[in-house]
Amino acid sequence: MSLNKPVKRPKLANEGVVGRFTFFVNRALLNIRQNIFVNLVTIGTITLAILIISLFMLVFVNLEGVSNDWSKRVQVTAYFEQELSPPELASLKSLVQAIPGTDRVTYVSKEEAFNRFRERLKGQELLLDGITTDVLPSSVEISLKSASRNSDAISAYVARLKKVPGITEVQYGEEWVQRYTTFMNFMRMAGLLLGSFLFLAVVFIVSNTIKLTIYSRKEELEILGLVGATRFFIKAPFLIEGILQGAAGAGLALVILTGCYYAFLHNAGNFLSFNPAASGLAFLPPVHIAGLFVSGVLLGFIGSITSLKRFVSV
Amino acid sequence: MIQLHNVFLSYQKEVTALHGINLRVPRGEFIFLTGPSGAGKSTLLRLLYAALIPTRGQVVIDGQNVTRMTRSQIPYLRRSIGVVFQDFKLLPNRTVLENVAITLEVLGWGKQDINKKVYHILKQMGLEHKINATPLRLSGGEQQRVALARALVNDPKILLADEPTGNLDEENKDLILNIFKDANIRGTTVVVATHDKRLIENSHKRIVSLDKGKIVEGPDVAQ
Ligand SMILES: Nc1ncnc2c1ncn2[C@@H]1O[C@H](COP(=O)(O)OP(=O)(O)OP(=O)(O)O)[C@@H](O)[C@H]1O
Ligand SMILES: [Mg+2]
Repeated sequence: MSLNKPVKRPKLANEGVVGRFTFFVNRALLNIRQNIFVNLVTIGTITLAILIISLFMLVFVNLEGVSNDWSKRVQVTAYFEQELSPPELASLKSLVQAIPGTDRVTYVSKEEAFNRFRERLKGQELLLDGITTDVLPSSVEISLKSASRNSDAISAYVARLKKVPGITEVQYGEEWVQRYTTFMNFMRMAGLLLGSFLFLAVVFIVSNTIKLTIYSRKEELEILGLVGATRFFIKAPFLIEGILQGAAGAGLALVILTGCYYAFLHNAGNFLSFNPAASGLAFLPPVHIAGLFVSGVLLGFIGSITSLKRFVSV
Repeated sequence: MIQLHNVFLSYQKEVTALHGINLRVPRGEFIFLTGPSGAGKSTLLRLLYAALIPTRGQVVIDGQNVTRMTRSQIPYLRRSIGVVFQDFKLLPNRTVLENVAITLEVLGWGKQDINKKVYHILKQMGLEHKINATPLRLSGGEQQRVALARALVNDPKILLADEPTGNLDEENKDLILNIFKDANIRGTTVVVATHDKRLIENSHKRIVSLDKGKIVEGPDVAQ
């Protein structure tokens, strides 16, 4: 038996994965408290970044909603060779329903067509004197699924519709659909382009802010390295700090966004919509909210990890 | 404890700071590294704590060849080396306690043990009453002692000090010198770079003299 006593070493604190993790989280919180100004700057930058992107998304989501409303006006009307008996009508309806892209098929009788016409001439009913109710032909009105509401898809649809026996004439607002499609394509392109530029600018600004804040603490990073801290030990609290900053910034941005939304945006008349009943802007769907929050966290994390690479050379 | 074999070091292609240094410092020794400004004293110390890797030659610390170490091994080497830097490198927004504690936190010590140990070393340095002050509110001599406390708090095998008496008065110099001697008596190998002639003369220790990146005086020159 050796009489040599083992070297006396204090028991290490914070052992195990959980212990290490809480140690690093505590360190990160301490760092935040000790560098509160720098942290507020970073959190503020992330807040602004997420706010800008979320406002952009809000506008985009609403434009998409409006365009969807608009596109509901895309309707195809089919006229018949001759009046159809109810069984004939039923079989025709089911044939039309079978064409891919069909959403709803509605029969419009002669009487209904006449009534609608009269509605439109309100106040000038005199014009209708001496006209019988069967002057207008009956028809079916077909609304399309949203994927088929663009000019190419409609042309293909109409070609198939014309092959249905009994249908002689098909009408749809061809010119309008074409303009609508071009406009929507333009909007999507512009949105995508603007969104990407905005995103790049935001990533650039946030990562530079984080770089500056980490630069302001490069002495600490250097000293930690010189007293024998491992790279992981040096980086872990900074990365946790980055994640916390990202979460705080994104959370704050979403709170501000929600606040602004309920304060004035949600009942601001939706000037883009044709339908006056649909007043107010829609809020972002939950998936977008979650996505924005995660982006904030990632901004903080990735900003920190790339900046640390520059300053930790152990 | 420390061995340098034919060490060359160039910062850039043309600036060669060290030209073929051979040096051997046995365990428990105390040496002074001296020479004019620009001779390469700081550079030599940087090699010893692996902040620089030699362009040519070998550096062996405590039986480990630093030249062949991987990046992830270096922290463990540094834990057995205490360094006092020419510019102290204290964190201005941390207290004296926190500045000294950093050495032990890195090792994973618990808070209680750290506080006890730091208090103990600060008491040795005569600084226990400044434990909660920040470095900016300390005198130059006090800052120097905080830097020393940080280097010595883990009883390192090697203590490296770069110009530790920079602009201190005689009283403070003696204080610092005595701390070095105490550490040396407790078994720490000490290397002090300085051009303070008085300090060297008062101490009666081995001297290694550098000039223009070469050893010009000292026991290893004759070899
Ligand atoms: N980071 C650096 N990059 C390039 N050259 C350097 C660097 N550090 C030092 N040198 C050069 O290496 C040589 C040795 O410098 P070093 O700092 O080791 O001298 P020193 O003996 O410590 O001087 P002093 O007594 O003034 O501190 C000098 O010529 C210096 O210009
Ligand atoms: Mg120097």
